[in-house]
Amino acid sequence: MLPLRILVPGLAAVLLAACAAPAPRHGAAIEPALPRPSFTLTDTRGVPFEFGRETRGLLTFLFFGYTNCPDVCPVHVANVAAVLHKLPFEDQRKARFVFVTADPARDSLPRLRQWLDQFDASFIGLRGDEAEIARIMTATGMPPAIRGAVGADGRYEVGHPAAVLVFTADDSAHVLYPFGTRQLDWAEDIPRLLRVRPRTEN
Amino acid sequence: MQWWCSASGAPWTWAPQYYPGVWLMVAVLAVTFHALSRRARAQGEGRGAYWGGWMAVGLVWQVLDWPIGPLAAGYLSSAHALQFVVLALVAPPLLLRATRRALAAAVPTSGGARTVALLITQPIIAAVIFNLIAIATHVPAVVDALMPTQLGAFTIDLLWLVGGLVLWWPIIVEAPRRPWFGAPVRMLYLFLGTLVHTGIAMVMLVRDFPMYGIYELAPPWKAWTPLEDQHLAGGVMELAGAAVVFGIITVIFFRWSGGVEGDNAPPAPPRD
Repeated sequence: MLPLRILVPGLAAVLLAACAAPAPRHGAAIEPALPRPSFTLTDTRGVPFEFGRETRGLLTFLFFGYTNCPDVCPVHVANVAAVLHKLPFEDQRKARFVFVTADPARDSLPRLRQWLDQFDASFIGLRGDEAEIARIMTATGMPPAIRGAVGADGRYEVGHPAAVLVFTADDSAHVLYPFGTRQLDWAEDIPRLLRVRPRTEN
Repeated sequence: MQWWCSASGAPWTWAPQYYPGVWLMVAVLAVTFHALSRRARAQGEGRGAYWGGWMAVGLVWQVLDWPIGPLAAGYLSSAHALQFVVLALVAPPLLLRATRRALAAAVPTSGGARTVALLITQPIIAAVIFNLIAIATHVPAVVDALMPTQLGAFTIDLLWLVGGLVLWWPIIVEAPRRPWFGAPVRMLYLFLGTLVHTGIAMVMLVRDFPMYGIYELAPPWKAWTPLEDQHLAGGVMELAGAAVVFGIITVIFFRWSGGVEGDNAPPAPPRD
């Protein structure tokens, strides 16, 4: 028979493992985990939005993109929205999607709001000056956005990170989801990400 | 130069694109049909069937070329479903109907070629071939792997047309003649032979998430979401497919109940 000094810690470890949130199955792991950043930008109501404070303890999807993006941004945002809409209301309340424009020159606040409303009226749109956004992107480990050449019609594209950073209730990002993440992948991972407990509860 | 429509990942544009591979394939189909239908008409095939065959050639061209071809290859699952219905279920019976007398006369009477012809046109084997093609070309991993390449997309389109010709041959061409394959059995054959495609359509209709990555991750088609598009695709396969299959089953039934079953048959080739 096993001595108690081995059995009790062993049993405790098994129980803790059973209670811990299951690891996400998709995306790319961030090692070490990225702490939830603190920055303030303007939201689509024209009000300062303190990211760290407003999203603390919530499952938060942070994405840097632009509304004139022809492919990656609308697909990524639409896929997250489609899966969030299928969650129970209680879980939807625990999630925030924050879209920071990487093209503040063209993305006015009304334009941001109008574009995000196609996907979900609760999605948060943030805007600031280019230098501030570049600083936030660097702080979150993302490469800064690069404006492409202006075409004859005055249009241009913006090179930007195509990944969604996900902060969990422990105020850390353990995983980022590159473009190509399918709705099925999100549907599998979001419930797992929602089960991560806040730091204070651990 | 892009020879065949494939998923490019580029945003959709209404600027016309040119696909010489499609034109080449349609030209080969048209020339072959012209030669066979001339022979069939010389053997007494009617004008209605002849023009029906040309309509099929036109339909094949329409669904493979711009805009339906590229839409189906990389943007809309519903356009792909429309291609399937036309290539596998609509065009083949029209093409075979117009050329069946020439085709029946061309069935080899001896040797290894006759053995192969007997095998492929054996109704159970024909149905198995069609259904294997339908299943394989709708598996998400296969579609996502093949559609981004021109050769892959061409292979799927060609397989659907060939699979359709194989499925419809025993019903329309009726050569080699099989006495046991009368009207009731033919109706059953059509019903059972197309059950798999009905099943695929049902799966597309009831799934909660998009099945195919190429359509889900394609630059957005603003009118509807990838999931709505998938449901539309399932509806197209289900309804249009059912309309064709049950339409022909109805024709077979009424011809049979009216006692005209034999009148539809081309000149009898040797029995197997």
